[in-house]
Amino acid sequence: MADGRDGITRRDLIRVAGGTAAGLAGATLAGPVAGAAPAARQDEVVIRWWDQFQPLEALHRSIWDRYTETHPNVQVEYTVYNPSEMGQALQLAFSSRQMPDVHSLAGVSVPVPRLVADGWFTPLARGEEIRQRLPAGSLLDGITVFGGQVYSFPLFSFRQYTSCNWFNRELMEGAGVDPEVGPQTWDEFRQAAAAVTDGGGGQIFGWIQGIQFTDRLAVHVDELAQMAGALTSGGIDLTTGQYAHGTDPYVQALEFLVSLQQDGYLFPASSSLDARTARARWATGAAGMFLDGPWNVGVIQGEFSEFLDKVGIAPIPVANPQTPTFVHAVPPVGQLWVSSQSANAPIAEEILLELTTPEYYVGLAERMDQPPLDLTAVDRAEVHPTYRRAVALFQERVRLAPSPVVKNPAVADVLAEMAEVHPNLGEIAQGAFSGDVTDYRAALTEYAGKLSAERERAIGVVQGRGGQVSLDDWVFPNWDPAQDYTDAFYQPAGSGTPAAQ
Amino acid sequence: MSALANLRPRRRPGRRPRLGVWVQVAVLAGICALWVYPFLWLVSASLKGQLEVFTAGLDLVPEAWRWDNYGRAWDDAGFDGYLINSLIVTLGTVAIVVVRCALAGYVIARYRFVGKRPVVAILVATLFVPVGYTIIPVVELSDQLGLLNSRLGMILALSGGGQVAAVLLYAGYFSRIPRDLEDAAVMDGAGFLQVFRGVMLPLAGPVTATVSVLTFLAAWNNFFVPLVFTFSRPELRTLSVGMLAFRGEQSTDWSGLAAAATISLLPVVLLFAFLQRYFIEGVAGAVKS
Amino acid sequence: MSTPTTSPLPAGASRGTRRPAGPRPLAGRLWDDRWIYLFLLPTAILYTLYTLWPIAASYWYSLLDWNGFSRDRAFVGLANYRAALDDPLFWQAFRQTFLFMVVTVPIRVALALAAAVALNNPRLPFATLFRTALFLPVVTTTAIVGVVMGFIFDPVGGPVNLLLLRAGLVERAVNFLGDSDSALWTVMGVHVWKWLGVTLVYWLAALQTVSEDVYEAARVDGANGWRVFRDITLPLLKPFTVIIVLLTAVDTLQVFDLVLTMTNGGPFFSTEVVETYIYRQAFAATIPRLGYASALAVIFGLATLLLALGQAGGLRWARRAREAG
Repeated sequence: MADGRDGITRRDLIRVAGGTAAGLAGATLAGPVAGAAPAARQDEVVIRWWDQFQPLEALHRSIWDRYTETHPNVQVEYTVYNPSEMGQALQLAFSSRQMPDVHSLAGVSVPVPRLVADGWFTPLARGEEIRQRLPAGSLLDGITVFGGQVYSFPLFSFRQYTSCNWFNRELMEGAGVDPEVGPQTWDEFRQAAAAVTDGGGGQIFGWIQGIQFTDRLAVHVDELAQMAGALTSGGIDLTTGQYAHGTDPYVQALEFLVSLQQDGYLFPASSSLDARTARARWATGAAGMFLDGPWNVGVIQGEFSEFLDKVGIAPIPVANPQTPTFVHAVPPVGQLWVSSQSANAPIAEEILLELTTPEYYVGLAERMDQPPLDLTAVDRAEVHPTYRRAVALFQERVRLAPSPVVKNPAVADVLAEMAEVHPNLGEIAQGAFSGDVTDYRAALTEYAGKLSAERERAIGVVQGRGGQVSLDDWVFPNWDPAQDYTDAFYQPAGSGTPAAQ
Repeated sequence: MSALANLRPRRRPGRRPRLGVWVQVAVLAGICALWVYPFLWLVSASLKGQLEVFTAGLDLVPEAWRWDNYGRAWDDAGFDGYLINSLIVTLGTVAIVVVRCALAGYVIARYRFVGKRPVVAILVATLFVPVGYTIIPVVELSDQLGLLNSRLGMILALSGGGQVAAVLLYAGYFSRIPRDLEDAAVMDGAGFLQVFRGVMLPLAGPVTATVSVLTFLAAWNNFFVPLVFTFSRPELRTLSVGMLAFRGEQSTDWSGLAAAATISLLPVVLLFAFLQRYFIEGVAGAVKS
Repeated sequence: MSTPTTSPLPAGASRGTRRPAGPRPLAGRLWDDRWIYLFLLPTAILYTLYTLWPIAASYWYSLLDWNGFSRDRAFVGLANYRAALDDPLFWQAFRQTFLFMVVTVPIRVALALAAAVALNNPRLPFATLFRTALFLPVVTTTAIVGVVMGFIFDPVGGPVNLLLLRAGLVERAVNFLGDSDSALWTVMGVHVWKWLGVTLVYWLAALQTVSEDVYEAARVDGANGWRVFRDITLPLLKPFTVIIVLLTAVDTLQVFDLVLTMTNGGPFFSTEVVETYIYRQAFAATIPRLGYASALAVIFGLATLLLALGQAGGLRWARRAREAG
């Protein structure tokens, strides 16, 4: 809109004229600033850095401190956010031109290509150098690379899932389950849950989960559906391109979870817990098993260290041990971005480069948060045995999924155009637990149908704007679900199976 | 100023409480126990270990008194730097709100003037508009006015938004003050301003106390205004923004949060306890003479 | 009472109160009332900038397709309003918000009045302590309230359930926050608990306009407590009742934090209220829809305004009918 552009121009003028570098108050704007500011700015540089990686704060601070030692004029001003608040903060900061120099995208779900197109970021000048440092295939077009330029890079490995079966060794042992192995299948999970509940005297239950947090619940249902044979990524069957929520694996996964509640194995207050409080209650010994990501043990070590010795882990349980199944992970995304509004992009980038070193990956592993991009660092790191085990489990069971956005960047425009559909997977699952949804298949099928219709509409809109995109972009005929769908597979059709393996 | 001298609120000398009163006390004590329990739990959580917050359930007495939570809270929430900002911003806001709402409420309650109906209509009409998302235009406006990244900007944004409640309270209160008091002052030669300052405002003590406490609370706890207004100058942040430090992506430092909350709530509780006397010495005492 | 009720015209601008008969030029009237306008000025300026202008902006946003992040704001006319009309979840939140209001406002107003009358007694021991106690929930951090209430309403061993079970009122423990039939009522209960103190303070302030003498006189006449309350206190407080009901109702719109921490709108949208729903659209959605969120807010604001006007009209009509009859 015209008025918006006027405003920005005006602000730009003020910035140029007065040198209102971020950091000078409106009140002190008047006199001495003009002309003098740019010089002053070169002396003292403050890099403002926002992210949600609270557990990594100490690690990052050590990196900043080291950088500051050699560059005494540079300071990093760090703010840690809650993802939900961060999205709103970025929204406000962007429109008032107060973006931090470095930031993550927590709470921002606008597809990254759209943000790139809106001019949010500065490309990394030393992108190729970064590409050399990272494990091969870490940077993908449409994810971290746009128009041939590197904009960001992943810190974490894509090889992880969120439904590790974390359990209380003491309770499992008491219930006759071998804590070195743990339940492997849905049936074993149910038996273990039953045994723990039976021995719990009405106070201790087999399973606890944060049912209040629907987004996370959706991830668990989705991953468990894949353990029942769904060949999906983001709920889309990548062999057909269709939304698969109404298919057997999803219905079965939901039935499995809810049946645990119906049988009385679910910690009753679960329905009003979120992931944080569910974890805390689990750590008090109120329940045997808790599905959560690899970071669980890191949080336990940091917050509830008394409980650390009792933590055991088993893989995400499978529906049927005979059929091999995989969790399909999306390509590794970039976590930290340099803002286009940064006046010190080269310095920000130089600090970011410190997050690509072997020592950094070891440090990352030792925080026991999301696994580091270079998984071999875990072997060199001092970590809790369950974390090492988690990473090993991921190697077995996680495969890189094909990505429609990588195949055709115009897919991002479709995603950006699509309106949300409610109730979504997590909400339906929550409704199933509360008894509001009784016909799971009907609810899930309706959801998939609405999503398909919305996607079709969005494709039409994007095509109408001249975008080259079609349903075929969600179909990957050359996909072998047992293998990582690496760079080479995206070669134009007709070139056959790629040679790279 | 003989009329003004009569305005001192006064209380009757108390008689000995009767049995009925003690029954009332017992009932109230029971209710109050229910009412303060979660606050006590907050204080006790601030002295517990992380895990104990959840193992102990509703128990109030910590196993070991973890005073170190307070040290951590003090550092993590940035109390040493942010406390002053919180105080300046909150007190500034309270001062502006009290003055502007008392002035507006006074003329609305006691005078007829051209444009009064539209003014009242607009105030009431905007009472119910959900304002949570209006932060975006506020930021755009402050940006244009060059008020972002200043305490003044925060104070104005906090004291300018809403507060219809305060205006209405003042208006309701001023309208109940007997005309005699005003007339007496006028006979003594007081002008418009003197009547307001010397007679009306002192009589509105209960409302001023109410508005002060509630505005203090709202400004003290407001999160988004101080967050947005300090993006580029983090040294101006307030405590409520500092509280961010306790909630990460996957976890919450519950006992640290409880400790920080306990420290930061103390001023509000003290203020309330202090301003209480205004709730029992109102205009009523002044009227009889 | 020593001063006569009809006094000579006060000096200066307070002439505005009792205007001399006969029309006067507008400019002259405005000049005479200059003090009045001066008193309104601070509110006029701040209110226009920080309340009216943002509301006007939100009307404008409601006509846009805008995610709040990107610079392109496409004008879409009334499309957001059309979408709102067939958004069943919005109307569910809408109904639940009004239910919330209709249930909690009378309870809060009545309970707070009872407490205020008791606590206003200057001879009541520990009154200061009690007043502070009832106010404490207002200041208690909502995130912590969420955790405590989780324990209090816990389906296994929570005190509320233990009490109900022991009293034989229920056969099985109630999952207060986890059952979509009880979650909204539970949140309402906690809301009343948390915000009673604010309404209490309003009433305490209002009670200061009632003279002790009135009570004394009534007691001399032999009236008992309830009759004093009904025949004397209540009529005197009438003008405040409207304001306090209004302010308490507005408070109900601020259930946002409490809902987010206690239930996050669930289970299955059963505690979703308009504020949380708008928040989700504006900030927490996959693709934030600020335009749509603004349209929802405008609709809600207008609906509440109509309701308030309808109520005011109804009251006036009732009064007139009574006077006529």
